[in-house]
Amino acid sequence: MTVRITQNMLNTTLLYDLQNVSSQLQNSEQELSSGYKLNQPSDDPYGASQALKLRADLASNQQYQSNVSDANSWQSVADTALGDIGDSIERARDLVIQGGNDTNDSSDRQAIVTELTQLIDSIKTDANTQYAGRYVFSGTATNTQPYQLGTNDAYAGNTATITREIGAGVQVSINQSGSSIIGDDTSGLLATLRTVVNDLQSGNTNALNTTDLSAIDSANDTLLNARAQVGALSDRLTTATNRLQQTEQSTTQLLSNVQDADMTQVMINFSTQQAAYQAALRAGAQIIQPSLMDFLTSS
Amino acid sequence: MGLSTFMGLETNLRGLLAQQQALDTTSHNIANASTPGYSRQTAVLEASPAYTLPGVGTSPAGPGQIGTGVDVAAYQRIRDSFLDVQYRAQSMLQGQAQANQDGLQQVQLAFNEPTDSGISTLLSNYWSAWQNLSNNPEDMGTRQSLAQSASSLADGFTSLSNQLTTLQSQTAQNVTDTLTQANNYGTQIAQLNLTISKLTVAGDTPNDLLDQRDLLLDNLSALGNVSTTAGANGSIDVSFGGASLVAGGTPATLAESDLTGLTSGKLQGLITLRDTTIPGYQSQLNTIASTLISATNTQSGNGFDLNGNAGGAFFTGTDATNIAVNPAVISNPGLIAASSTGAVGDAGNALAMADMQSTNLIGSSTIDTAYTQLVTQVGADVQQANNQVSTTTALVNALNNQRQSVSGVNLDEEMTNLITYQRGYQASARAMNAMDDMLDQLINRTGRVGL
Repeated sequence: MTVRITQNMLNTTLLYDLQNVSSQLQNSEQELSSGYKLNQPSDDPYGASQALKLRADLASNQQYQSNVSDANSWQSVADTALGDIGDSIERARDLVIQGGNDTNDSSDRQAIVTELTQLIDSIKTDANTQYAGRYVFSGTATNTQPYQLGTNDAYAGNTATITREIGAGVQVSINQSGSSIIGDDTSGLLATLRTVVNDLQSGNTNALNTTDLSAIDSANDTLLNARAQVGALSDRLTTATNRLQQTEQSTTQLLSNVQDADMTQVMINFSTQQAAYQAALRAGAQIIQPSLMDFLTSS
Repeated sequence: MGLSTFMGLETNLRGLLAQQQALDTTSHNIANASTPGYSRQTAVLEASPAYTLPGVGTSPAGPGQIGTGVDVAAYQRIRDSFLDVQYRAQSMLQGQAQANQDGLQQVQLAFNEPTDSGISTLLSNYWSAWQNLSNNPEDMGTRQSLAQSASSLADGFTSLSNQLTTLQSQTAQNVTDTLTQANNYGTQIAQLNLTISKLTVAGDTPNDLLDQRDLLLDNLSALGNVSTTAGANGSIDVSFGGASLVAGGTPATLAESDLTGLTSGKLQGLITLRDTTIPGYQSQLNTIASTLISATNTQSGNGFDLNGNAGGAFFTGTDATNIAVNPAVISNPGLIAASSTGAVGDAGNALAMADMQSTNLIGSSTIDTAYTQLVTQVGADVQQANNQVSTTTALVNALNNQRQSVSGVNLDEEMTNLITYQRGYQASARAMNAMDDMLDQLINRTGRVGL
């Protein structure tokens, strides 16, 4: 027995099919206009969770890059200051050798003392260098000026470290305390230079030529060591930047794979659905209209 | 012998009347071709009781019986009640799936993911703000910006929480409305029951009223599980959700507490949304927010603010419904405990805050992953609901087509019937005409010899 087909069946079936194709068209249209195949979590729940995670990864990555860039600026400020201090040490060493010469009279030595005193202030000024309003060599007491100009060589900062996070759980220490580089009133470069000044004033050329010179050399070693640390950290930061940029690129690529629509594919789907929709409409118009009534002649 | 001369007239009259009634039925079908719930009707024609010719002797093989024409035995409603049962079972599932889909899609819209204004982005911004503070702990602007990011995050939580609460109360209202609708259907069915049984007692078959009652049962079954029991004189007793909704002509007004046996349908879908699904999402969201509040405030207590004082509460509130940034922190961002030692340049505590992003604070999940899981769950729930709706809709359509195949009006068929009955009527009229000629012969021309 054949299935009875009624007009209502034709109507409802046509309507159902048209609605199906319409909703597919609407989906494709949304993908085309938004550029995303993932417009709401239900489009692809697993993809949505991936997308959220990748977005968060991307945000952290960008934040780490900004941390690295901040650490880099800090290092270059510190390096410039350390370079200037190095120049001052070099000049101080020349002055010590000059002062150790017995041919100098007291007025010559007084001139050297004057220059050395200025050098000490200049070194302290370099150690007072600021980055974005913060004292770079002051430990975590970044709003405290580490050294006072003049005769007081006491270090006012602390020796605590400042850290930057340059990757998940990867922290680097970006600062060195002033006291570890140029010392204070009891030890290090500053104390050495004050001793030199004393020796010059008392005419102790022997000390100038031996202990003072070697003390200056050792202070210079300390400084070079500090500069090496800055250089090594800069290298590390550059590597970190490269790594972060690569990760950013691959994360962006992954995110695009998860959430971006494949335009070519969507366009093809869209055209196919459009054709199906038009065919359904045309067929509907042909099927629904006629019945036996159209062919019965009124008698 | 014993036959009336006018018997043929009577036979033809029956023919005319029967064909006319069949034509009327056909017209009725055509008129109702697109009436919802209408079942096509046919006039069941059968030969009227034959007249036994009294013969000579009583031999059964005597002259026998003579036909007396045609009668309309009944107007039959063409309907398969088995398909009705199947249709209603599926329509019930469809009702539940649709209610579920509607609610879940609104929940999904409330989450507003993945976008740049969803909570996941706000969380990223919030963690970044702590990182920025760790780069620049002395700076008031950076602190202010952290306070703003945190406020946006808190607003994101409270706004989502409020939307979920609103959805829940809307769903509760919808439950009440749906129940009222079910009770209304019950009242209408009871009224129809009264009319149907009156007509049935009088010997009629009220086809169109039966259709109306079946349509009401169709509608009712989309709301919940329905079962019917045939009562006296064509009336039915209806039970809805395990409770008696209609007993003969008496409707009941059911309350939600009466529906102890409710298993499916729109009403069940709404109740599940209201009591289980939405509160479930809400509670997960609350867990995330309350974990964030307590972990942040604990960490804040371990640190020191810009003045070297121990950190106070960063967030106020207890969960997603009332989370907010401590107003004292907003008016003076210097109170944010960024330092772990008290030194202004130390940002150990800010880093510890930022590192909460990758700490498993909720079981084996971080705050971010717990939220992502919640969004994924909502997405998966919506996807499942979408699938259920399309499956049940396809099945409901298929079953409805089957019902239509049996009960629906096919206009070609009706036109064919129209022609058949029209021709039958014409033929009966022609036969009547012949009979008339015959009688004319008999009455007007017979025995007129010589006139």
